Amino acid sequence: MNKFVLVLILFWALNAFAQESVQAAKSTTQEPLTQEYAENYVFADPKQRKIFLNLTAELRCPKCQNQNIADSDAPIAHDMRRKVYQLMQEGKNKAEVIDWMKQRYGNFVYYKPPVNAVTIWLWLLPVLFAIVMLMFFLRRRKPEDDHNIDAKIAQADKMLKDD
Amino acid sequence: MNKLATYLIPLALFLGLCVFLFKGLYSDPTIRESEVLAKPFPVFELPDLQNERLIHTNEIFTGKVTLINVWGVWCITCAIELPYLTALSGQGLKVVGLYYDQDIDPDFGIKTLSRVRQEVAQMTAKYGNPFAFNIFDIYRDTSLDLGVTGAPETFLVDQNGVIRVHHLGDINPRIWRLKFSPVLSEIAPALEANIAAMNQSITGQPVIAEQGEGGE
Repeated sequence: MNKFVLVLILFWALNAFAQESVQAAKSTTQEPLTQEYAENYVFADPKQRKIFLNLTAELRCPKCQNQNIADSDAPIAHDMRRKVYQLMQEGKNKAEVIDWMKQRYGNFVYYKPPVNAVTIWLWLLPVLFAIVMLMFFLRRRKPEDDHNIDAKIAQADKMLKDD
Repeated sequence: MNKLATYLIPLALFLGLCVFLFKGLYSDPTIRESEVLAKPFPVFELPDLQNERLIHTNEIFTGKVTLINVWGVWCITCAIELPYLTALSGQGLKVVGLYYDQDIDPDFGIKTLSRVRQEVAQMTAKYGNPFAFNIFDIYRDTSLDLGVTGAPETFLVDQNGVIRVHHLGDINPRIWRLKFSPVLSEIAPALEANIAAMNQSITGQPVIAEQGEGGE
């Protein structure tokens, strides 16, 4: 059981570390870039500006692997930033802009995957795995202990008799 | 038997994982399904590249199968496929260019229209001119509507203006046979027979070098 606890602590530490480094990466690379690009566009309302920064950070450049459109310098990313701005000026809200992009570039274009029959396994599998492993460990422990105790008693009896 | 299973199950899981990861090594991360397939070509109203007074609309598709080629003079792969596209149009396929220029950025705007026209004329003179005409996608709105991520990209549009093939990258006899031929033989069998015969005659030879000389 000690080992199990140790593994749990290790996982927790890893997770905390990963989150911290992701945050560090965000604050060093992503933010200044998005700010810089946003300078090209004028917003009457600071809230709109915030939504724009948010959208360009969450929309994915379809040409380059694993860069958002705020980060990427590909021509298509330029075009998409301009389109996001244009759609927002037309009065579209965040969800509508995302839908507009999804209609043309698929689910790939948005960093949050949709939950459907295929993708639900991304969340379910780890949980199922943990449950199965837990059951496996709990089942294995008990009979072995019983068996050991019986064997030990038998051994003790034998030793007593021998004496 | 039970003991055997405790060895075999992890082994099977491990082998399954190996197969999964091994396949991942050779999978192409850039492959994505097109969102515009089997949908009508997006509504557009854009000027001709050579004559800004001439406005093209979706009516260009009525009655004839059209190959829409998204290209620009700045794109090297587009130049490489021009000779083959020219050969295709020589067989009677209607090829229309959806032209977009990188340097006419609405944010900056550097290149003049006459300069673009001159560059297009130079390039088509050198590598061949497959285009019945070029539509000028000034602000690249139609490209965005088509889900274009770069150039070259090519769309086969049927007589009713519905997109039947969306191809990213250059077009050559192999790609034609793989992606375009099955669809075209369905919507325009006579035309596809001509193109298939042409492909037959140029396979086995270095297509690009061979065709490069024959540009109009």
